[in-house]
Amino acid sequence: MCTTGNSKYQAAGAANSPDECLAWQGLLERIPYARHLGLQAQTDNGGVLIHLPYREALIGNFKLPALHGGVLAALIELTARTAAQRRDKDDRCPRILDSHINYLRSAAIRPTFASAEIIRQGRRTSLVEVMCWQDNRAAPIASGRVQLLLPAVVATNTEAQEQ
Amino acid sequence: MTDSKNNQRNSATATAWQFTEQVPHSRDLGMQIISITKNQACIRLPPNPLLFVDDNTEEFCASVLYSLADSASGLAVLAEARDSSPIATLDLRVDYFQPAKGDRALLAVATCPKLTEEVAFIHCDIFHEGCHELLATANATFMRNTLGGRILANERA
Repeated sequence: MCTTGNSKYQAAGAANSPDECLAWQGLLERIPYARHLGLQAQTDNGGVLIHLPYREALIGNFKLPALHGGVLAALIELTARTAAQRRDKDDRCPRILDSHINYLRSAAIRPTFASAEIIRQGRRTSLVEVMCWQDNRAAPIASGRVQLLLPAVVATNTEAQEQ
Repeated sequence: MTDSKNNQRNSATATAWQFTEQVPHSRDLGMQIISITKNQACIRLPPNPLLFVDDNTEEFCASVLYSLADSASGLAVLAEARDSSPIATLDLRVDYFQPAKGDRALLAVATCPKLTEEVAFIHCDIFHEGCHELLATANATFMRNTLGGRILANERA
């Protein structure tokens, strides 16, 4: 079910793509704000990416026009969160500790996509890098690094003895 | 301050206020500008279940706080610059100190400690209304006078 690859920089959601995609969509649908934004999981060359469809309500600058920086942040943060949760064998729901987003190009009023790369999935934290693009994947419009906290699991008797 | 400078500031502030209030995303979330003074901007966000992180918990999604910080920060740049020439967020980092409860409004207070011809540095704090405990804190860098995204894109291509 969840990705178990050993590669340090393996793209998130690489195991059995269609099932994994459904699992990502299921997690997104639990988040009211992700539903409000209309985020959709899509299979992507063996992995999963998240699609943010364009709506007028996403505009942050109507003179350019361009999408709001906060909308891209939401796409990045929720992609990171979903990737981290899917990678966790206990399916724990992560809490975002911090995120740092660099805006690389103006975001046109078009569909936007994001893919996550888990840099390090630890027992308590996950560090995820997310790239965001529109027409051209080679020309990203934003990149983000999100640090997430995985809540403590209540240890079972066996686990407690092992520790 | 002379009357003409006062007028210039008031008119720039009014333009920034109006501009920010018309931003579709800010309206979509329900942001309300509370004040723009000197180098500081304050924006309020009332609770709304559409902005929550979970169906079973009354808690704002962290990304909503991010949007609020971005909007307040941009407004603080315009407040300090006293003009409404276009700006673009270069980067913004948010530290989420604690969950934001969904039954109370949020307040973002952004300050511009340093402004140059080209860039502006912003610090923004987010609280629950009527509470001094920090929920999140943000630091941002903005480009000034960007004349639109095309130029920013060319610079960075």
